[in-house]
Amino acid sequence: MPLLDDEYTGTVRWPRLRQDVAIVTWPSFLVASVATMICFAFIDPVLVGNDDYPPPAFATRMSGYAIGFFFFWLISALSSLLTLYLARTAHPEPPETDKPDDWTRSAP
Amino acid sequence: MTAPDATQDGGLYAARQKIYPREISGRFQRLRVIAVWVLLGIYYVLPWIRWGERQAVLFDLPARKFHVFALTLWPQDFYFLTWLLVIAALLLFFFTALAGRLFCGYACPQTVWTEAFLWMERLFEGSRSQQMKLARAPWSMEKLLRKGGKQFAWIAFALWTGFTFVGYFTPIAELASKIAGFSTGPWETFWVLFYGGATYVNAGFMREQVCKYMCPYARFQSAMFDHDTLIITYDDRRGEPRGARKKGTDHKAKGLGDCVDCTMCVQVCPTGIDIRQGLQYECIACAACIDACDEVMDKVGYPRGLIRYDTQSGLEGQRKRVLRPRTLVYATLLAVLVAGFAVTLSGRNVVGIDVIRDRNALFRERPDETIENVYNVKILNKDGHAHEFRVTGSGIPGLVVDYAGPTVWVGPGAVQSVPVRVRIPEDALEGGADIELAIEATDAPELTATGQARFIAPTD
Repeated sequence: MPLLDDEYTGTVRWPRLRQDVAIVTWPSFLVASVATMICFAFIDPVLVGNDDYPPPAFATRMSGYAIGFFFFWLISALSSLLTLYLARTAHPEPPETDKPDDWTRSAP
Repeated sequence: MTAPDATQDGGLYAARQKIYPREISGRFQRLRVIAVWVLLGIYYVLPWIRWGERQAVLFDLPARKFHVFALTLWPQDFYFLTWLLVIAALLLFFFTALAGRLFCGYACPQTVWTEAFLWMERLFEGSRSQQMKLARAPWSMEKLLRKGGKQFAWIAFALWTGFTFVGYFTPIAELASKIAGFSTGPWETFWVLFYGGATYVNAGFMREQVCKYMCPYARFQSAMFDHDTLIITYDDRRGEPRGARKKGTDHKAKGLGDCVDCTMCVQVCPTGIDIRQGLQYECIACAACIDACDEVMDKVGYPRGLIRYDTQSGLEGQRKRVLRPRTLVYATLLAVLVAGFAVTLSGRNVVGIDVIRDRNALFRERPDETIENVYNVKILNKDGHAHEFRVTGSGIPGLVVDYAGPTVWVGPGAVQSVPVRVRIPEDALEGGADIELAIEATDAPELTATGQARFIAPTD
């Protein structure tokens, strides 16, 4: 007797695209949170407003923090995306058996 | 193997379908429910607790001050946060070495909120089989009401979660009245919706898939396991060969193990794995299968613990060792760090000084044959009550400090800017020299701080 009905097809094994979106956005979110904390522990966003041409969004701290957070998220997501792309498009590792343990000694 | 094919083939199981974990009761489930109530209780209640004039726990980002009960932390105290994070990481290592993924099963926000959402789902849609039946059924008024009711409860709970989250950063009572009057600021609105939305999606839909696909800890926690780590395991020496049997038959005579192959352990699993295939990285150690199996063992009259918390060594019939070098090292490190944290925190300097040169003029030559530099001195009083401060200077012979009043009053948890004029005799210096400006509380001489500055004099 099958435990669950076969006709119900809400898949739980995520499709590749959803996996990719998850592993790009989530780790970058974590890193961005840490980066935001460290950055704004040392830099007060309103001080950026003391520049000659302050970006108007930094006028208040709350928007300064938020913009900083999303900036970090964007940057780290880009990095995650590139890493994922490189990992996904790399040539697959040759099977274990074809690889001598120590290539220096395997030379004739 | 003589085990029936259905249990061996993961494909027939929930693994590739939406998982409807079967509701379960038992001692570990009770523990989990307690954990959910305690942790969510703390989360939702904490911002409402008052401490004197203010909210007891408030991470006041606009003012750049963190209030935690009697403590007020400033950006300068950032290293305490780093320290806390190190302690938290070590705690995680310690508990992982001790008993595997305790954190995942009982305390992870993902698990805790998922539990709450599952509870609401059951409230509206009924038991596991009722939920599956409802999903199959054509749309009707009842289905609409049940599904709609669940969504309403989920969304309301998620929004309340988002509201509470923002309440840690902006005074929650004010925030509540702002929301009641639809007058929240754009960022407050945004973060309530952002955090609420994340809760809704994470706990309502992604659930344990987050652990499977997105959680880094799930991937590396096994590196902290050893033969003496308590993990949730199926005792296959006792259970196999598994198989159904009639009540009262002597299964040992028929060559069967204790596992009656009821598949309850699979049905209750929130990640849809079969624990009888051994430890898998999807397992979040919620112990639901232990409760399920114990219940079945009670019913058929076999001893409990076919699925149980045990160590690799224990399963192989060896001694269990909770105290071992790894756990002892973690425990010692933790004790040292926690003690150091407490000592440093209690002994931290609660006053600070920041000296900034006046930008407008390098120096001024005064008629009384002195050279004057002007500084903007910021006095930080991180203490819980107000103090009067004296400002003094040193570094150049004949240096005199001049500022408004004999003392400067700085309120509790406040910063006071004081323009300070520093004068030296004309012939004391050519070019520049480093000076020191110091503050001292008049009522508490141990509260002192010094700041460096550059004094500039003409070169002729």
